Amino acid sequence: MKTVRLIGIVAGLLVALGSYGQTNVTVAGNVVDENRQPFPGVTVFVGRPLRALGTTDENGNFRFSVPPNSTLVFRIIGYQEQSRKVGSDRESLRIQLAPDANALEEVVIRGYQKRSKELSTGSSFSIGGDKVQDIPVANVEQLLQGRVPGMNIQLNTGAPGFRGSTQIRGLSTISMTGSGNQSFLQPTSPLYVIDGVPMDADRATEYGFQQQGPGISPLSLIPQEDIANIEILKDAQATSLYGSMAAYGVIIITTKRGNSPIPRVRYTHNSFIKTPPKLRETLGGNLERQLKLKQIYENAQDFWDLWDVSGSPMLSDSLNAYWNNSTNWQDYYYRTIYNQSHNLAIDGGDQLFNYKANIGYFSDQGIIRNTGFSRYNANLRMEYQPADRRFQIIGSVTGQLGQQSVGDGIGMLQTGIAENGLSSTLLPPPSFYQAGGSHASALSTDNDNATRLIRSNLEASYEFIKGLRASTNVSYEFESKTEDTFTPAVANNQFARVYSYNGRTTQLYNRNSLNYSRTFLERHNLFVNFFNEFRIAGRQSSVTRQERSPNDQLQGPIGFDGYFSRGGGLLDDYTDERAASFAFAASYDFDKRYVLDLSYRLDGSSANGFENLYARNPAIGFRWNFDKEPFLAGLDWLDYGALRLSWGVNIIPTGTLERIYGKFNITGNYNGQQGIGLDFDQIPNPNLMPKTNTQYNLGFDFSIFNNRVEVIYDTYYKKVENELFEQPLSNITGFNKLYSNGAGIVNYGHELFLMVRPLPINSDFSLSFSINGAINHDVLLSLPDGFDGQFIRWEFDPNEHYQHIILRVGGASLANYLRINDGVYATDQEVPVDPVTGLRYQTNGQFFQGGDPILRDLNGDYILDGFDYRRTGNSQPIFTGGLSAMLTYKNFGLNINGSFTGKRTILNNAMAQRLGLMRDPFGNKAVVPLDDVNMWQQPGDRAQYPYAYDYRRYGTIQPFRFDQTLWAEDGTYFKINSIVLSYMFERDFIRRFGIDNLRIYLSGENLHTFSRYSGPNPENVTTMGRDVSEGYPVPRTYNIGFNLGF
Amino acid sequence: MQKINVVIALLLSILLTGGCKKVLDLPEEREYLSENINYGSQILEPIIGRTNLMGTFNSDDSSLPLTFEIVNARYGDGRPVTDLFQVRPTYVWIDAYDGYEQSLEAIEAKRRLEDRPLFEVRESGQFILWASSTNELIEPRPTDSSNLVQDIRFFDLKVSNTGGTVYLRDFQLIPWRERPYYPFTDTNPYTGEPAPDPTDPANPDKQDYIRPRLDNVIGANSNRPLQSNDNIKDVVVYIRPFEGGNGHNLRLKFMRPDGTFMNPDEFNETKWDQLVHGFNLVKTASYVQYDVAYPIPLVNIATRYTNENGGSASIDIEYSRRGFSGGLTYASFGLDFNIYRAGDWEIVFHFRNELPKFEDE
Repeated sequence: MKTVRLIGIVAGLLVALGSYGQTNVTVAGNVVDENRQPFPGVTVFVGRPLRALGTTDENGNFRFSVPPNSTLVFRIIGYQEQSRKVGSDRESLRIQLAPDANALEEVVIRGYQKRSKELSTGSSFSIGGDKVQDIPVANVEQLLQGRVPGMNIQLNTGAPGFRGSTQIRGLSTISMTGSGNQSFLQPTSPLYVIDGVPMDADRATEYGFQQQGPGISPLSLIPQEDIANIEILKDAQATSLYGSMAAYGVIIITTKRGNSPIPRVRYTHNSFIKTPPKLRETLGGNLERQLKLKQIYENAQDFWDLWDVSGSPMLSDSLNAYWNNSTNWQDYYYRTIYNQSHNLAIDGGDQLFNYKANIGYFSDQGIIRNTGFSRYNANLRMEYQPADRRFQIIGSVTGQLGQQSVGDGIGMLQTGIAENGLSSTLLPPPSFYQAGGSHASALSTDNDNATRLIRSNLEASYEFIKGLRASTNVSYEFESKTEDTFTPAVANNQFARVYSYNGRTTQLYNRNSLNYSRTFLERHNLFVNFFNEFRIAGRQSSVTRQERSPNDQLQGPIGFDGYFSRGGGLLDDYTDERAASFAFAASYDFDKRYVLDLSYRLDGSSANGFENLYARNPAIGFRWNFDKEPFLAGLDWLDYGALRLSWGVNIIPTGTLERIYGKFNITGNYNGQQGIGLDFDQIPNPNLMPKTNTQYNLGFDFSIFNNRVEVIYDTYYKKVENELFEQPLSNITGFNKLYSNGAGIVNYGHELFLMVRPLPINSDFSLSFSINGAINHDVLLSLPDGFDGQFIRWEFDPNEHYQHIILRVGGASLANYLRINDGVYATDQEVPVDPVTGLRYQTNGQFFQGGDPILRDLNGDYILDGFDYRRTGNSQPIFTGGLSAMLTYKNFGLNINGSFTGKRTILNNAMAQRLGLMRDPFGNKAVVPLDDVNMWQQPGDRAQYPYAYDYRRYGTIQPFRFDQTLWAEDGTYFKINSIVLSYMFERDFIRRFGIDNLRIYLSGENLHTFSRYSGPNPENVTTMGRDVSEGYPVPRTYNIGFNLGF
Repeated sequence: MQKINVVIALLLSILLTGGCKKVLDLPEEREYLSENINYGSQILEPIIGRTNLMGTFNSDDSSLPLTFEIVNARYGDGRPVTDLFQVRPTYVWIDAYDGYEQSLEAIEAKRRLEDRPLFEVRESGQFILWASSTNELIEPRPTDSSNLVQDIRFFDLKVSNTGGTVYLRDFQLIPWRERPYYPFTDTNPYTGEPAPDPTDPANPDKQDYIRPRLDNVIGANSNRPLQSNDNIKDVVVYIRPFEGGNGHNLRLKFMRPDGTFMNPDEFNETKWDQLVHGFNLVKTASYVQYDVAYPIPLVNIATRYTNENGGSASIDIEYSRRGFSGGLTYASFGLDFNIYRAGDWEIVFHFRNELPKFEDE
């Protein structure tokens, strides 16, 4: 090596000597980026050693005088270096720089410190901010769907301002809240770290559907245009430095910073249409009447059934104008809407001082009437770093306002709308004189939610001696949340009602860190980082409820009458938490070939109780960059290759003070003394252990053929132990429940990311294609003693459909406990006969017959009863992933993204409800056409669905009972998430209009879902896999937008 | 290159084995068998000679189906019990009886004889004592109504699925002796002897009887409505076998106080062909006879031949005569009954004191 270098130097000297005395030549040219746009700020070097000549101007042009036959080198951070030899004549060059796609030179953030990805031992995944543009969304999280292997995002609600569910590496909890269709898996969202400040994304949804206050997700407040980079940390080595809150993964969002010597003004506009999905088909007017009458005539059992027709004027009095309607109720509630978003970004500055401002407006008025979300934001950031780079200070202020309306629903569920949409078309349309209470409630309930958030952040660092840097970060966040609901008199039995919520959340956050990096003996590198974090988090909220206000005009202030006040006052979600954390991380590498990471973090919180005050989170990681091994040095085609191995633990305290020490109430006087008694809802459990999340990860990354093929593979084993488990207690104990440990889950699986760039870099076409996927299996490891390996979460309320959930050790954690449906009896003779009693198979005293569902008699007593249930299905998906293709040709760009979810059981409750509409032809519900349904019609039919029209036996047979596997379907789907078609105008052309750059694009979101699922949308289901017809449908979006730069 | 191959082979082997469930030491999914499975009662008191389906099993959410096995059958003093498990042919249903069958053959086509142990347990956990059992095959409980432990048959039940096995111990089987018909009020269920008169239990010359229901049956002599209760027994019923039938006959007879039989035609409003689910109606001057399938009723469902809940066959004998103002007045008497043992049976309505009044007023 040394000789080669020597020869180079000598040759360079000779060249330099040889050129001495010759006249310089003038070289002019233009540098463009990968989109053939002018590239300002590219530094041009010449000579050996390299000497900077200057940078390109704002149009990417340069003109220098250089010695003849020299080599020009063009460099800018983030792009591959280009060099070009010039002759002895005046020359004009056109240079195109390609982005530096080598993933290893990326920077990743570990424990709030920037580290080279080459040295990171954990499993993480980065997404550039450009990947989350061009499709206007309220919540940027949904654009990550299908992009990150192992991150399962389900867009399970279309409610504006709400967020779907996000899981990294499978199931992390088996805790559920709510019941029936509203069963809600305790959200286990990753920790979001936004510009160095951690944020709890579950804040708005931790109480499930039935929360109080506005359900605006804090993530919905971040404008997508302001995002520079998103990094997802998956394994415990990467997350353990973030402590307890990071047990479910970490998502680091970095916003843009100023980077332009000349101030830039960029404006982004989107105009988009949201359309509701295909709604339920109903038969209107006379068709409805005819069908109902036909149903009665064909299934009446005696004369009196027919007689009832004359008692139902809706059916018999077709000439009565009052009943002679064909009202499309759904049309009153669902709509197509036009929305806009505007975003203005101003930035400028250089390494020394830079600034950025981002002002935005986003609006999504919701495809259900009387719902919607709009966001206003103003983010400011400045950074100052003197030239010697020893001192740095960053300040930022973020102001965000989210406004939302959910009508009379609760956002994710719009029960009122769903009920009203099922009304009979024979009913007269709503009008002033007879607006039904529920209809008025849905449309005229005045609901106004607002979340206002201000966050300020100041970060300073100083390098005392080379390698030793101290930094501190202080941020304060204040969030105010209000909800005002006014129900007018017509919607509430002629008395107006007022509900008002207001709450605030504050967080004061401070982090101090000291880090030291040093290289010794040339090839040994050491990096040490110590930091602590302090957090004071507070929350308080209160509610005012007034059952009757004097009139519709008086919406507030209220409080005139205690008689009609329904109380409220302070809610019990009061929080005043102090948390202190101390973390230490050390990283050592030998010649960047072998890397060892060690980290340890202590998390203390005032909410933990004294038995387990500090949670300890250790982690070890190892990385082997085998491409740097001498024996592989000759392989040109191998860009890099690495093997990673890590282990780490995240401890999550689940024992609140109430769970550990019990709750004591002031209970009145005894013998003149104040009595304080234990609350008998739960037995205090001082032995409650914190939840332990242990994870092993093995990763394998490589890139070959000059980044043409890039592969990231991970396999992991994640064990969750001491899961909090709510044990219902026998009433003889005097208590209702006990919180205990003993439940555990294991997730194991594989993740693969593959990226291919098949076309050469200097072609007019560029194509990159990536596919990623993850297989995740979850297994229930244990249950608390006394359950003997099985626990059933019963749903006994008839309104909750009896769709029980069963946990059984050794199986997939969350399975359904249902009756097994084996089809439909074609004839009466198919119904089995009890050999002992001679009676046919029966339920509720009614014998089954042809057209009834075959519900398996599991216990063999020829009676369908409460024992005939079996564990079936798995509500969590096994496969998730996505694919993405990006094609550019000159100024055109085409970007397609898809995502898939495979092998999960969905209970199609919407279908059950739709077929069940036929149960009562005398009722005032709509009827639906069943021509497309494979339903039993006459003896001998082999059908999937039982006979729907036998209304007389409906109550006993319940052919469409929810608790059967007839509704269990495979929820596998492939969705085209988005297509973006863009065009970048030629710069020379638009310069004439004083515009720096102009790009227009057309995009569509949620375009099509391929699935065998019979319901409307296999994604629009709850986390427990129930397709709820009361849910908020996910709309389709068509957008036209442009980026404009001055 | 060879080194690369080694590395790749090593990696592949790690990856392939890494996904295997066994390597990860995860628990196997097993079926669940609760320790708390139980029965509503562990004392079984079936009646010999008819099909008894007994036991309310609570599986406590164990994974179904379960397998049940009767083990360790013994008397209270340790003697083994074998008589329960004798195999005899018995009727099992293969199709549903609905009461509309047009012939005996049609009925017989819906059931068949199978060899079954007299006593067994099926997969639902229900115990069956088949109708093929008799007093001779299974010794019933002692006639002196004692309940001594050495006379009681005990057994244990082995319940299992792939998740394990649970033993439920010390079931008791205390069978009642055969009661071939119902109502059985004329017989002592312990001894099979005539039952004592409820108003005079010590009198050996008196006994209790099966009592019919009577509606507007007026005595020909006394001109009062005939009654059948504890004190007055104007009409009683005998359900008894008779000689000379074809083995599956049922006769209805109406006995005068003097022991002779009335002509069924006197009960002029009776729809004889719809009275019982029988065929080949024969009406003579002294009886009405059908060919029937036993037991009566065959299945516990409501048909036009049974009472409302289907538990018993129901017959009503009706007649009419002119009342005081010249209109027709109707009278009827009848009985809800079961007959469990196949054979030639007659149901005799005995007017003990006087005949019903058939004359017009």
